[in-house]
Amino acid sequence: MKLLKNFAAVLGLLAIVWVTFLLVSYILASTLFPAIEQASQNILASIMRVIVGLATFMIWILIWYTLTKIWLYKVLLKE
Amino acid sequence: MFEALAAFLTVIVITPFMIRFGRRFGIVGVDVHKSSKPIIPKTGGLGLIFGSLIGLLTQMIFNWELSPLIFLSPGLIAGLIGFLEDLKGELNPKLKPILLLLASIPILVTGYYTPRPVIPFIGRTRLYKIYPILVALAYPITCNAVNSVDVLNGSMIYTSIPFFAMSLIIAYIRGDGFILTMSIICLSILVALIPYNRYPARIFLGNSGSLFIGGLMASIAIIGKIEVAAIIALLPQIMNEMHVIFSIGGIRSAKEVKSRPVEFVNGFLTASRDRGAPITLVRLLSAGAKVDERTMAYMMGMLAMFTAILAIFTDLFLVEVWI
Repeated sequence: MKLLKNFAAVLGLLAIVWVTFLLVSYILASTLFPAIEQASQNILASIMRVIVGLATFMIWILIWYTLTKIWLYKVLLKE
Repeated sequence: MFEALAAFLTVIVITPFMIRFGRRFGIVGVDVHKSSKPIIPKTGGLGLIFGSLIGLLTQMIFNWELSPLIFLSPGLIAGLIGFLEDLKGELNPKLKPILLLLASIPILVTGYYTPRPVIPFIGRTRLYKIYPILVALAYPITCNAVNSVDVLNGSMIYTSIPFFAMSLIIAYIRGDGFILTMSIICLSILVALIPYNRYPARIFLGNSGSLFIGGLMASIAIIGKIEVAAIIALLPQIMNEMHVIFSIGGIRSAKEVKSRPVEFVNGFLTASRDRGAPITLVRLLSAGAKVDERTMAYMMGMLAMFTAILAIFTDLFLVEVWI
């Protein structure tokens, strides 16, 4: 029974990661990718796009890892 | 279909020889999740490589085209790196990803990719500068992710089959005959190895097998233009590898980490409560529970099946509309 609960909890975690991945890919495709691919007149805007894109990606990875740690220690192991 | 049958039969026939080959030349590993700690040959990957070679050569002969060779080459390079590791012992964990970048060379040199992936909600993009870099990175990431779930009898096969089933379904929907054939060949070699690698395993896939399959997955994603769906289908593997790296504080050898993610007690796996232990899928699933190895491998396969279904939904509703 505990295994099934764990399985359902990991499925939930993967579903959250899936939704956030779609969001992050949207942000990257509207910020980082055009800034690198297209030469822009406005250098400042390009730099801002790169910063926003990279920061979004790194924050997403960090949230994913933190969420998994919370899932493991607080939800599954109930410490 | 004939190619897949040839690949399937080759793996079935050649694997017993691979078991003897592994024992004779000492290419073996300890099955740590068994009380008797049996010594098992880790040459199953060579069987997969031979099987896919026969399948793809059959495809090349029947169709007179070189594309199957370009598709297979990255997998072969990754498989060779894995075999070196099986033969000589663990490579420097920081050197291995760099070596795996070499697997992308056949795709990059032949230009066998389309740098215009479809991103959900955005549509078709033009990534002429970034895409080759992403192609190069795809191989070490995918190969190491697949390698990281090869921890239990059958676990790598059970988690890889949903990926190729996903690519097969998307290729069928798009009418992409080449990716459809490649997916069927990949599925057939994996299914053929189940009787030998399922619990209790008679052969391990070894690093040659996991890196080879990782290489084929990356090639299918790039050549088949299913990048987004492939990332989603590989979320369990990527999550496993990424969390291990994060929780042990960087790319390090598993031997350097004292605490194990799971404990093996009376034939059952249970998650370690040590905060210094790596966070893995097996640890998440066995938290506070006692699970036998066979069930755990099935559960990992079910997780991969779930993300493969998410990948198909994403492709159907958010990607295909732009194609």
